[in-house]
Amino acid sequence: MGRKPIQRGEQLVWLTGAALTVTLLATVTLIGVVMVNGLGYFWPSTLAVARLVDGGTAMGEITQRDYTDEGDLWRIQFKVGNRDLYGADFRWIDAAAIETLNYPEDAAALEREEYGNFYGFLERLDLATVQVDAGLPPWERLQAARDAVEERFEAIESLNESVSADSHEMERIRLAILELRYEGGAGAEDGIARLEEQLAPVRADFDARNAEAAARLAELRSNTATFADAAGRTKEMPILSLVRTYRPNAMSVPAKALFYLGKVWELLSANPRESNTEGGLFPAIFGTVMLVMLMSLFCIPLGVVAAVYLQEYAREGLLVRMVRIAVFNLAGVPSIVYGIFGLGFFVYGVGGTIDELFFPERLPNPTFGTGGILWASLTLALLTVPVVIVVTEEALAAIPGGIREASLSLGATRFQTLWRLLLPIAAPGIITGFVLSTARAAGEVAPLMITGVVKLAPALPLDGEFPFFHLDRKFMHLGFHIYDVGFQSPNVEAAKPMVFITTLLLLAIVIGLSIVAIVLRNSMQKRYAGKAF
Amino acid sequence: MQARSATRAKRIDRIATWTITASGLVIVGSVVGILLLIVNVALPLLFPPDSVRVQRFSPAWLGDPGAVLAIGSDGYLETGYVLDTGGVFTFFDSRCGALLERVRLERPGVAGATVAGVEVSGRLDHSLRWSDGSLTVERVRFFPQFDPEGQRHIAHAVERLTVLPPAEGAVRGTARVTEAGGTAAVFLLPGNRLRVVQQIVEEDLFGELTRESASYEIEDELPGAAGPLLLDGSGRWLFAGTDAGYLLRWALTEEGPRLADRVRASHEGSAVTALAMLIGDGSVVVGLEDGSLSVWFPVPAEPGSFVRVLKSIHTLAPHPAAVRRIVASQADRILLTVGEEAELRMHYPTGERHLLTLSPEAPLLRAGLSLRANGVIGLDAEGRITVWAIDAPHPEFSWKAMFSRIWYEGFEQPGFVWQSSAATDDAEPKLSLIPLVFGTLKATFYALLFAAPVALFAAIYTSSLMDPRLRLIVKPTVEVMGAVPTVVIGFLAALWFAPLIEDKIIAIFLFLLLAPVVLIAFFVLWERVRGWPPLNRVKPGYEFLLVMPAVLLTVVLSVAIGGVLQDVIFGGDFRQWLFQSFGTQVDQRNSIVIAFALGFAVIPIIFTISEDALIRVPGHLRAASLALGATRWQTAWRVVLPSASPGVFAAVMIGFGRAVGETMIVLMATGNTPIIDGSIFNGMRTLSANIAVEIPEAPAGGTLFRVLFLTAVLLFSATFLVNTAAEVVRERMRKKFGRI
Repeated sequence: MGRKPIQRGEQLVWLTGAALTVTLLATVTLIGVVMVNGLGYFWPSTLAVARLVDGGTAMGEITQRDYTDEGDLWRIQFKVGNRDLYGADFRWIDAAAIETLNYPEDAAALEREEYGNFYGFLERLDLATVQVDAGLPPWERLQAARDAVEERFEAIESLNESVSADSHEMERIRLAILELRYEGGAGAEDGIARLEEQLAPVRADFDARNAEAAARLAELRSNTATFADAAGRTKEMPILSLVRTYRPNAMSVPAKALFYLGKVWELLSANPRESNTEGGLFPAIFGTVMLVMLMSLFCIPLGVVAAVYLQEYAREGLLVRMVRIAVFNLAGVPSIVYGIFGLGFFVYGVGGTIDELFFPERLPNPTFGTGGILWASLTLALLTVPVVIVVTEEALAAIPGGIREASLSLGATRFQTLWRLLLPIAAPGIITGFVLSTARAAGEVAPLMITGVVKLAPALPLDGEFPFFHLDRKFMHLGFHIYDVGFQSPNVEAAKPMVFITTLLLLAIVIGLSIVAIVLRNSMQKRYAGKAF
Repeated sequence: MQARSATRAKRIDRIATWTITASGLVIVGSVVGILLLIVNVALPLLFPPDSVRVQRFSPAWLGDPGAVLAIGSDGYLETGYVLDTGGVFTFFDSRCGALLERVRLERPGVAGATVAGVEVSGRLDHSLRWSDGSLTVERVRFFPQFDPEGQRHIAHAVERLTVLPPAEGAVRGTARVTEAGGTAAVFLLPGNRLRVVQQIVEEDLFGELTRESASYEIEDELPGAAGPLLLDGSGRWLFAGTDAGYLLRWALTEEGPRLADRVRASHEGSAVTALAMLIGDGSVVVGLEDGSLSVWFPVPAEPGSFVRVLKSIHTLAPHPAAVRRIVASQADRILLTVGEEAELRMHYPTGERHLLTLSPEAPLLRAGLSLRANGVIGLDAEGRITVWAIDAPHPEFSWKAMFSRIWYEGFEQPGFVWQSSAATDDAEPKLSLIPLVFGTLKATFYALLFAAPVALFAAIYTSSLMDPRLRLIVKPTVEVMGAVPTVVIGFLAALWFAPLIEDKIIAIFLFLLLAPVVLIAFFVLWERVRGWPPLNRVKPGYEFLLVMPAVLLTVVLSVAIGGVLQDVIFGGDFRQWLFQSFGTQVDQRNSIVIAFALGFAVIPIIFTISEDALIRVPGHLRAASLALGATRWQTAWRVVLPSASPGVFAAVMIGFGRAVGETMIVLMATGNTPIIDGSIFNGMRTLSANIAVEIPEAPAGGTLFRVLFLTAVLLFSATFLVNTAAEVVRERMRKKFGRI
């Protein structure tokens, strides 16, 4: 070791170390960027009002500071909101053009049903049908009015529920008529007439309730609040359309924290708004979870059985080699090829046949012959089965041979050995395979895009309507949500925070699952350390 | 009792054995099944088009077959018609031959005039030349109608579009009603002269229609006796063929006719016998006396020139004898050519594909193509009408169209183009797979250029040089990296990374230059200070913790110096400078972004597999090498790496397979333009992204749908080969080290 470090090749060691560093830094950067951009969005940022040198004003959240292209001048990006008044959400203002910048306590931010956020000052309230204490200060009156409106709205919602029950009933009768008409034959005409008779009162009820709900909603919408922007332009809005009202400059840190939690809860539990760029992710989360669960239902048994075959039953030979290579190839086939296979085989092949056999009356409208959660999950199952096989096989291989021999020598059959000994011992491995496959499935998007994922599903694949599981329905998915909102939405810049949050959520789920799998595997490795593997 | 339970156990055991073995086979089956299914969907592309004679009848209502001038059919092969010299359109049910209706045309001039000649253009516009010299254009129309029971039947009508009085002394002539509603007619006068009669309809700014009439004689001398004459759908171009084998083209401008082209269609001087325009009026099809067929369209006289000249672009399968008539489908680009002895051929010009040849037993007097090019109807001398159904669902497909350079209509030169759909029906589908294959390989190449060295070096370091305790943290971290969904990588690459590096491209190149310098500087510094406490407690194997600040410093330095360089050398904007100096456009979503993003997705795979292979190298090899006095780098580089090289090779192959098939990242971060350009500053479209982009728009069973499945077969086979090779190599290596 008397040679110089350069001769020893230590600098090359450093080079390889740098490669590893780049790899790790890239990972950390990716996770960091997603966290920084995703976590901060819900925190209510202060509202700045800028008076400009030319006499104009701008009000909003300060989102970015940047050098302008000419020289070293600062410019500031405001999220000015009020899309219905200004047309654009963001505005760049040169720092030099700003005369004063202040943060008034009564600056209000409104989240609305449409047109994005509004930033302004409360001007007045016009309450037509709800009563609130007139003695309260205006902002508190607004809050009280919102509560009152919300209460009435819930009543309308329950009315809407019976409307939708009616509409389901109508759809059921319509399909029954369609079926009778298709089958034809004696008595079909009578049956149809009877069903038509049944349909009439339901339709009348539907119309009446629908009209009532609409009338009550219109009445409720006549309660309005008027806000003025920084320049004094006023906008009258129905109180019902205000999703959230807050004055960030007047909020304390605990209040902001509470607000933050409220937003997170909304994210997890509410439906999306504004073509998915605001509101919650509940249908996408639900769709992802249900997809993954259905997928596991198909892939875990098949994968475990195949692994058992390879490890415990098959004699080493050409067949086993072929199976191994096939499994390995399945893992390497591009996911889009699985997608196109799913489309050709499951959707058009199996689905089309099911439609012809069981739902011929609905054709040419497809029932199963179009993308749906069942086909997407089957496609994903095929895609993740190699993961389960490989991991389970490794777990079985790690079990010392003595255990098998002991069991067989005591007179147990092979299956008994498998069932009572090997599988329980390999259970952590099987669970690892399960977790890894769910992680892979949760993050996979390309095959779903052609087998049934949609940007906005009208109904969840699981609900209170018979038969509860609607495997033919299309569904939403977190990964697709990222692609769709980030790339297909009309206002990408305004949608970006939502995409980051969705990304954060998906990343948390997938990485969380992977970490669980890694921990499980490591604990298992320790158990039989030094044996096989 | 015990015996029973034992038999039961045995039975269960047998069942389990079967089930388990069966499911093992299911796995093999499903791999084969996937391949078979996608091949099966793509396969119909290769089936040769088929023709079936569906009907033959000798209708009693048909008089002299020789008097029939034209025959045709609707797009459903339900209603046919014949036009005879008496000026009567007879519509009949082409499923049974029953007479439906006779429509007698009003004679335009002299009473008792008969029809002397007919030419069909556009969607069944018949230009009739009457015996008194006047011309009329009659349009036959078919419209499907649905009665209350949902039954479809085809209604028909004949509409007279225009009447032109005889031109003095005209030998023959043809007329066409233009898309704007005007007319154009050309008459052949005695002495081989041509006269053009035009009625131009123009719409001014206020939507007022002005009609202008013009009539002039063409002064240019024709090279040979005039043969077929052809007007295009706009009425602005006149084509003529001569018996000396020349093809002429005039622009019928407001100032008069201008001879635009005078080219030899036949070098042997064989006469031009038939002319027709392809759908969209962009190309003219020329048939010759010697049976040869070619497709011509105007192209720049020389590269970059604005002057367009006619050029023979496609040569179609020739007839054995003279070409008599050419019928261009108005539904797609299919051509029906009628040769001497009534041999019928169908062609698809783009890929120069000869679809099929129909050989009727008796020579046909007249033949016509159905409106949707799905059938051919013909009349023979014995008065028999024959209907063939043509099954050519994928005429656009041919290996030539997929993989060769093709000169597409309206293009300046031949090229590889993927453009599967367009705004208009008459557009030429361009289905070259070359740009997609090129894009795939380009993305993979740049990604591996970044990922393979990084992943391999990292794997060498982790397996052989790093402290084993750190390895327990590093490996899971890389596995987490591998778990990051590709949609997340793609999103960040496109919407965060691409805009971020847009004006810092120099910094990236600087990083590559600076990294070794900074690293060496740090290394030298470290060698000087490592002896001092407390630094002397840092053991070998922890270097990469020291490398981290060096890498970070390099990043900061590159960005800072890059900014300065950009201002000083490149005038403040590197992209502009590059464009002005080299004409290279820098796209925001370029190959640099792809290299990093796709590389990010591939690194964990290459890392994990090669690290596995490296760590599998038996410890006694290392120990022996170190004991003989080799340094740890020499041991890693000259002993461990060569022993594990098959596994490392397999790792790169698998990384390659993954990069080739990756979809979401390239879909989001490449811009998806199917161009052939190896530049690192622009994007590409890959096979996988192409499937994702186009399959939702492709009607099931159509050519595009099947071509996309064909690309899936390509992807599958490419990854299958690579993966199988890698797995075989890996298996060998496992065995090899199993024996040691």
